[in-house]
Amino acid sequence: MNLFVNKLYIWSRSQKNRNLFIQFIFIIFVSFFIYYLISKALLLDMTLSHFDSRAGFGISHTFVIDYTSNDSRWVSYFTGVINTIRVCIVAIFFATLLGTIMGVARLSKNILFSTISYLYVEILRNTPLLIQIIFWQIIFLKLPRISEALTFGNTVVISNRGILLPSASPSDNGNIWITIIIITVILSLIVSYIINKKEDLEGKSIKLFNFKFNGNLLSILLFLTITITTYFILQKPFNLDLPSLYQNNKGTFLQSGGFEFTPEFGAILFALVMYTGTFITEIVRGSIQSLSKGQTEAAQALGLSDYQTMTLIVLPQALRSIIPPLTNQYLNLTKNSSLSVVIAYPELFMISRTIMNNAGRALPVFFLILITYLLLSLVISIFMNVINRRVTRIGT
Amino acid sequence: MTKIKLSLLLFSVMSLAIFVACSSETETSNKDMAEGNSTLKTVQDRGTLKCGVNDNLTGFGVLTSGGTFEGFDIDYCKAVAAAILGDASKVEYVPLTASARFEALSSGEIDMLVRNTTWTASRDRDLANDFTATTFYDGQGMMVYADSGYKTIEDMDGATVCVLQGTTTELNLDDRFTSVGLNYTPLTFETNDPLQAAFEEKRCDGWTTDKSGLASKRAEFPASAGGPESLVVLAETLSKEPLGPLTRDNDSNFYDVVQWVVFGLIQAEESGITSANVAAMAASPADPGMARLLGVAFGDGKVADFNFGVDPTFIQHAIAAVGNYGEIYERHLTPLGLTRSGSLNALWTNGGLVYAPPFR
Repeated sequence: MNLFVNKLYIWSRSQKNRNLFIQFIFIIFVSFFIYYLISKALLLDMTLSHFDSRAGFGISHTFVIDYTSNDSRWVSYFTGVINTIRVCIVAIFFATLLGTIMGVARLSKNILFSTISYLYVEILRNTPLLIQIIFWQIIFLKLPRISEALTFGNTVVISNRGILLPSASPSDNGNIWITIIIITVILSLIVSYIINKKEDLEGKSIKLFNFKFNGNLLSILLFLTITITTYFILQKPFNLDLPSLYQNNKGTFLQSGGFEFTPEFGAILFALVMYTGTFITEIVRGSIQSLSKGQTEAAQALGLSDYQTMTLIVLPQALRSIIPPLTNQYLNLTKNSSLSVVIAYPELFMISRTIMNNAGRALPVFFLILITYLLLSLVISIFMNVINRRVTRIGT
Repeated sequence: MTKIKLSLLLFSVMSLAIFVACSSETETSNKDMAEGNSTLKTVQDRGTLKCGVNDNLTGFGVLTSGGTFEGFDIDYCKAVAAAILGDASKVEYVPLTASARFEALSSGEIDMLVRNTTWTASRDRDLANDFTATTFYDGQGMMVYADSGYKTIEDMDGATVCVLQGTTTELNLDDRFTSVGLNYTPLTFETNDPLQAAFEEKRCDGWTTDKSGLASKRAEFPASAGGPESLVVLAETLSKEPLGPLTRDNDSNFYDVVQWVVFGLIQAEESGITSANVAAMAASPADPGMARLLGVAFGDGKVADFNFGVDPTFIQHAIAAVGNYGEIYERHLTPLGLTRSGSLNALWTNGGLVYAPPFR
């Protein structure tokens, strides 16, 4: 016994052994904790069979999927997923645009531009997104009420029920025309690639009536010719959908038709664009500043204008260090979109919560939400990685 | 190196603490209930009752500017606390949104839910709740602006309707509009405040929820937005909405106490026992039935104890704390303009539906 204690003492004298022991204990605790959580979860009903039932509730914003309350809960869930994707794509586009402009403006010699950009970043980056979302909703609700709605002929209706714009909905031949457009786009890309390649290799270009055609111009012409002629051949493949403001038989104003831009969509879109835009501004500014000053000076020495210096020399090089942190911002934006649950924009989290309230089984539904966000994030990551690889390859 | 070791040790201890905390917290969840860990015992051991309530519905449950909770539903929390713990102030109120309430109950965050919650089959079975008794017979209504000219639901084709997310009202609304083939746009909010803001800006034509809730919201509609007179609640009732307290499934000991406190308060009104005279009645009960209700001996007899697991005088404590059913109603709902006589919420002896099974 004494020998054992002695041996244990000697064993414990080693720093490595003691660390090993502590880590061993730690792992045991963690495994027990995880085991406990899993064993509790297994007692619950983890299936999503209740998603096959009739949904029974209406959704205010439907896009692509023509959802009615008679559809299953799966359809309502995917309506929510599409609403999330829709707001994310539009917000990512505008946030990038805004961030790039503001990032360049931040470094402008013009004091007005740089001050605007500075104030924009410092104010919007340092206030909570949730409060910004509610702020934008209040702003949008201050648009004219429907009884005082602004109308511009039969083309635009503006009220706090939504801004209605003319839109086009495909008629019978519409889908054929869309297919033709897609094929033509691919065809044009191939044509421009072949011609440009040939031009690069042989140094010759196609000349017609003394006018030099390059591949890009030719492919655009090709695209326009085919799409416009098929548009007339197919006899108006699209019906124009004009918005209207009307009074029902009780004298109450209602609006319908066209493309609808609602206050809820507007609020979440503006908030996400403005908020994420601040971070993108800083990324763009940082990346430009990280470039050696010699690049700008060399460009100026060559006689390039400020605009040319920016678009031809600085931004293409800055892009390399912009893309990785930009990906993070896109992912943040996607995850932040779930905050729109507070302003009645029915994105996937809000619809899932409604389903949970109607039929319970919160845990499997939460897993479904997590997997959906994970998939959305992975798609963005993969897409951005592809772009990143392309960008970093140029010039190496 | 010592630092790393210490932090590792600390981390292990903390994870153990979390582990222990989690296991003790989930004791009240459904699965343990069968093993005899009743919420009743938990409440008695803890010394407070955790009651899930509304904090934004005048008359039913509202957080006053003084920081206290008041309302019809709140009084049932107080009554149950008085019955189990002998002190109506030993309630821990947990304000909940409509969409978070059932998760809060099933996870054990609260002991009972009294948040103008409608008794339905799917909530009883699918969500694993037990509804104790109906304290208020409500029905869903539709509130519109008086100048809109809407008189019935059928007029409202193409309207936008504001509704709370995850409620039965949201589902009833859809049933009603789709059954007559009307188009409508539901605008679903998680809480009442942004909903009211949108309604005040006329973002929606109608606001639908239980008629009692509409009466409450209409009564306090700000003058800047037109005041109560600018609104009308349509006569049509879209649905049956029996509201009442609920507990978790398979929790009979606690369930029975909550249920019989509600019945006890109804019986008290029928027997004419009020918060003012309950002490006198308990000292000399008029008949054996009243003695049973108040948990006291009739004459020289023995006290009838029904083994609720609480003091037999529990209903007496509840009445002393909040008064009988009629007193609670008068205090909170009459000021909203919800007239009791002639409604479903009158006592059964007056032609209503408020009825308690015999306390024997």
